Amino acid sequence: MNSLSGLPALDRRTLIRSAILLVGGSVAGLPDIALAADAPAKRFFTPAQFAVLAEVADIMIPRTDTPGAKDAGVPEAFDSLMTNWASPQHQAQFRALIDEIGGAGLLSLPAAERPALVRKLDADKLKAWDPAYVRFKELVLTLYYLSEAGATKELRYELIPGKWEPWTEVTADTRAWAA
Amino acid sequence: MFDAIVVGSGMSGGWAAKELTEKGLKTLVIERGQHIEHGADYTDSLSPWEQCYAFSTANKHFWVRDSDHPYSVEEGKPFMWIRGYHLGGRSLMWARQSYRLSPMDFEANLKDGHGSDWPIRYEDMAPWYDHVEHFAGISGSTEGLPQLPDGQFLPPMELTGTEKDFKEKLEAAWPTRKLIIGRCAHLTKAQPHHEELGRISCQYRSLCERGCSFGSYFSSLSATLPAAERTGNLTIVTDSIVHSIVYDPKTGKATGVRVIDANTKQGRTYEAKVVFLCASTIPTAQILLNSKSEAFPTGLANRSDAVGRYLMDHLSGLGAGGTYPGFEGHYHHGRRPNGFYIPRYRNVTEPAEDFVRGYGFQGGVMRDNWRRGVSQPGVGAEFKAGLRAPGPWRLGMGGFGEMLPRPTNRVTLHPTKTDKWGIPLVHIDCALGDNEKKMIARLQADAKEMLERAGCTDIYVNKHYGGLGLGIHEMGTAHMGRDPKTSVLNKYNQAHDVPNLFVTDGACMASSGCQNPSLSYMAMSARGANFAVQFLREGRI
Repeated sequence: MNSLSGLPALDRRTLIRSAILLVGGSVAGLPDIALAADAPAKRFFTPAQFAVLAEVADIMIPRTDTPGAKDAGVPEAFDSLMTNWASPQHQAQFRALIDEIGGAGLLSLPAAERPALVRKLDADKLKAWDPAYVRFKELVLTLYYLSEAGATKELRYELIPGKWEPWTEVTADTRAWAA
Repeated sequence: MFDAIVVGSGMSGGWAAKELTEKGLKTLVIERGQHIEHGADYTDSLSPWEQCYAFSTANKHFWVRDSDHPYSVEEGKPFMWIRGYHLGGRSLMWARQSYRLSPMDFEANLKDGHGSDWPIRYEDMAPWYDHVEHFAGISGSTEGLPQLPDGQFLPPMELTGTEKDFKEKLEAAWPTRKLIIGRCAHLTKAQPHHEELGRISCQYRSLCERGCSFGSYFSSLSATLPAAERTGNLTIVTDSIVHSIVYDPKTGKATGVRVIDANTKQGRTYEAKVVFLCASTIPTAQILLNSKSEAFPTGLANRSDAVGRYLMDHLSGLGAGGTYPGFEGHYHHGRRPNGFYIPRYRNVTEPAEDFVRGYGFQGGVMRDNWRRGVSQPGVGAEFKAGLRAPGPWRLGMGGFGEMLPRPTNRVTLHPTKTDKWGIPLVHIDCALGDNEKKMIARLQADAKEMLERAGCTDIYVNKHYGGLGLGIHEMGTAHMGRDPKTSVLNKYNQAHDVPNLFVTDGACMASSGCQNPSLSYMAMSARGANFAVQFLREGRI
């Protein structure tokens, strides 16, 4: 007799989420992902690691005509998630990933050369479908696009749409809904 | 002394409480979890960025942690038991899909010989479906399908243009299949009797799983408990875990329930003339099995040995998806908390080669958002610019299959382990059978074929997880039947062995259909409560 279901916690969470999604019957019905805006008193990452994290996030989503990842507070929110939410296993995975990128010399490169390193890393890790990296990218994107800047300046978000319009006209300039 | 005790405050308990109090019975509702205040305890007024670190589950506080409430399962037979222990139970987090069982569902056991013949037929339930649909507010379209009876519907939600396109292609390829808009417990047009309870029409936020301060979807907290409250006949106690039911061998009746305070662990007893078990399928069996006495050495109302047996769930987690090409000039606005439904066709309009019963599909065709970027290589300004526009249309759908009632799929009390309140742990021994495995294979093949015929690309089919529980549709552990020797409840949801004990939650189900069961629990609870009132008045119990 097992005391639990026998499935690892993350798989179970994923299954529950997909179960909710499927019974909701809506692809847009994924539970909204919440995030932390306040910097915690104590950081999870060391200052050196935090600098790497912030640089990678901002290379992924730079400031353009709208705010970038740093502007949106993604590194702080990421750190807060590590402190408050992540399991020890995920904490270790993300710390190792940041150390790997830092160890590759990201911050010692001139700023103009850094994006190429991150772009190559992204291509390699996605090709190999490295689960820790996929989760990392998902987190950075989630934290950005559900931040106030990402959801309302880069994309569009309405807390209370008030109605359902199943078939609206769009143009090439139409921005996606953040959620 | 109360007139009635209702154990549990979820979908079933809320309805039992409403009906009993409206008929004048002083009723006590006992909830094992914490009190939740409708509105005040919800997080639905917050934008995503206003929430604190509750990553991925803004409703995390609604789901039960296994470490606090452990259970055990048979080795090699995973059963994921997803619970909500708080006032309102899972009626707060349910997916709100609301479908009637059909005449063929109530005849299924008799026809193919699995489980016990239902002691009722669709005609017995139809007026109660009407009753609960009117009060709860169910949105849907009238379709005239024999396997999915129509009801008292509020206006249907609309399909997207791509869903309409899929419907056309599907129904042209298979005239035996239909795609309809989902039927869901949302107020698409609130009626005066909804507004009286402070409920308003759906605002298309799709934040339902956080609770809805507008009361736009049906829950115990938005509807049945407030209705019970206004009668002046309702008392609610929370943080009170029912240990067992007290039985008086002299009268042959239940006299009340023993409760343990979740916080202080102090025991106390409540008394009433009639007891309703609405604790949800597995805990209802647990309470009965734990109510041992000289008269009932294997658990109360268990002379049939059927208590805990015939556990069912729906086959679920059987999704398929793909890209739906074209239609880039259109999008959607608002977040529809509902999708499409493909009602059962196997063994209705199309045969199945190697299994009995059938399955339905729920899904949607919507445009991707930034989430597609996770699996897409790229970083930087160009990547960001690419994710600014809506992505391609994506079709996703999941199947729900009927599981057969089998006595070997069962819940027992753990022989040695207890929880922190000293109550024996539930032990679950439940597995897929041959019929289910064949159904899963056919369901997946059907899903893939439908996506292919619709012209989808990048089609994927989810591998089934091999276990049960994730349908979150547990049923059957105290089922209704005609014979007291083989079933627990009679046609009034009354225990064969204990006349003032009623069970109206999922435990009462003799078969599961493939439809989401909550609407049936509502109707069953309202029906059972009205019989209990009648029998009390007639002095029969």
